[in-house]
Amino acid sequence: MTEAVASPRAAALRPGRAVLIAAVLAVALAVPLGLDPQGYPIRVLTLTLLFAAMGQAWNIVGGLANQISLGHAGFFGIGAYASTILLRDFGLSPWLGMLAGMALAALAAAALAVPTFRLKGHYFALVTLAFGEVMRVIANSWSSVTGGPVGLSVPFAPDSLWMFQFGAARPYYYICLGALVAVTLVFWRIKAGALGYRLRAIKENADAAEVIGVDTFRAKLQAGLISATLTAGLGTVYAQFSYFFDPDTIFGVATISVRMALIAIVGGVGLTFGPIVGAFFIIPVEEFANAALAGRAAGLSAFVYGAVLIAVILLKPEGLLALFAALGKRWRERRR
Amino acid sequence: MSAILSVRNLTRRFGGLTAVNNVSFDLSRGEVLGLIGPNGAGKTTLFNLLVGIHKPTAGSIRLDGREIAGLAPNRVARAGMTKTFQNVALFQESTVLDNVLTGGLLHEDVAGARARAAAILDRVGLAGIAHKLAGDLSFPERARVEVARALCTRPAILLLDEVMAALTPVEMEAFLALVRTLRADGLTLIVVEHHMHAIMTLCDRILVLNFGGLIAEGTPREVAHHPAVIEAYLGKAYAEGGADA
Repeated sequence: MTEAVASPRAAALRPGRAVLIAAVLAVALAVPLGLDPQGYPIRVLTLTLLFAAMGQAWNIVGGLANQISLGHAGFFGIGAYASTILLRDFGLSPWLGMLAGMALAALAAAALAVPTFRLKGHYFALVTLAFGEVMRVIANSWSSVTGGPVGLSVPFAPDSLWMFQFGAARPYYYICLGALVAVTLVFWRIKAGALGYRLRAIKENADAAEVIGVDTFRAKLQAGLISATLTAGLGTVYAQFSYFFDPDTIFGVATISVRMALIAIVGGVGLTFGPIVGAFFIIPVEEFANAALAGRAAGLSAFVYGAVLIAVILLKPEGLLALFAALGKRWRERRR
Repeated sequence: MSAILSVRNLTRRFGGLTAVNNVSFDLSRGEVLGLIGPNGAGKTTLFNLLVGIHKPTAGSIRLDGREIAGLAPNRVARAGMTKTFQNVALFQESTVLDNVLTGGLLHEDVAGARARAAAILDRVGLAGIAHKLAGDLSFPERARVEVARALCTRPAILLLDEVMAALTPVEMEAFLALVRTLRADGLTLIVVEHHMHAIMTLCDRILVLNFGGLIAEGTPREVAHHPAVIEAYLGKAYAEGGADA
């Protein structure tokens, strides 16, 4: 009896699901081989993978702990600026610059945690939003270091893995795929481990969690630090891939912070594969709306993009994964 | 017997209201202490002070000789005291097993906590519903899960805040039997309950709280005949006639 109850549930991967994951990974590895290494499709796919990883990093705080951050652009930009400035001024490899950015982001997250983690719901969202905006203002005004509103360009170098620079998009595709797999593994380990249980307890009833011994501040801090650090690392990847960025895009509320949250929420917040599904929906829809409608009327592409998002949220507030599950169930029942 | 818990001059004011006023008592190891009083007497506030949800305005709480007043609830739980919630506070979207397991993480890793949780569910008669969602349970099941989750933290002292409130008489008898087995295993308990039958049959000693202060203390029999208690519950007229009844 005890044995049956004790069998691990969350940690174990169902065989069917393992096969599916392996198949998707194989396809993801093979797809670039059939695409023009310089072309538009592979660039969109690379960006999609990067944003999936960003949504996944956000999911650690927003999904598991239910702390809705609207300031993750702050960490993302710290990563981009740290590695690019160190590369520009000292010729440091962006991989090392990435570590420096991650450390800086961890410091920023720790400093931010002290005043914000006692806040709940909207207040937490607002303070994190302000954090991202403060970072944007600093980057805009501290011109001697950041280059100011003009932005920063990554100094050009010949193809080199050590210098994180490639002429073609294909290597970036594989780096972003690797980043997505890594962040997803981190998310999955947290979710199935002790921290995941603690964060779920906090999400569902913080008082009860404390009374049965969960150090709620510490658990949220751990999640926040991991999430911020990973986001900063992805900021470096973005900088190297895009070669150029400015304060308003890298620290943008709509371009980064809200999009990270949206990707996780639309896919299925708190679910391991939610942000991946969300990114593969949102980024292509956005790109398509831009490409197909940009020439028609000012703002039409943003309007279509917004309408599609609203439709998804109204149709299934729990996200696309829940929608697929419901459709799959209905289909199986009809076949019977 | 040595006191496992010593409360001295414990006071909590909310603005102009003194919810708990200068309360002192000792709790012996293995004792079952009842806490009664009219609605609004300060019973739940006293519990919340003991486990750290509220910080005391003044006073001292010593658990095993160590001062714990003002500590965060998770530190109090680590020190060995936890409570169940009056309006059941389970993790609704988690399974019964995961609810209980989370308590076990205080001292163990996930695998250890899972094994402990499974054993506790077996013991409180919930093994059959381990994989049900907590939000889907009946009242008696919820009460048991609350107790199981608290037990998984391996407490020395467990505070039960009206866990039996929504139970039928038959369910209550079954629950009382469970509490007696916990007691037999050496757990020290403080019980807040409105069902006088439950309190009277379960407790070694009863404290009576009214307007935030202790008005009486004694065995169930002593308390039942105490004029101040009868007055608090029934009014002054009854107390004068009731004392010799």
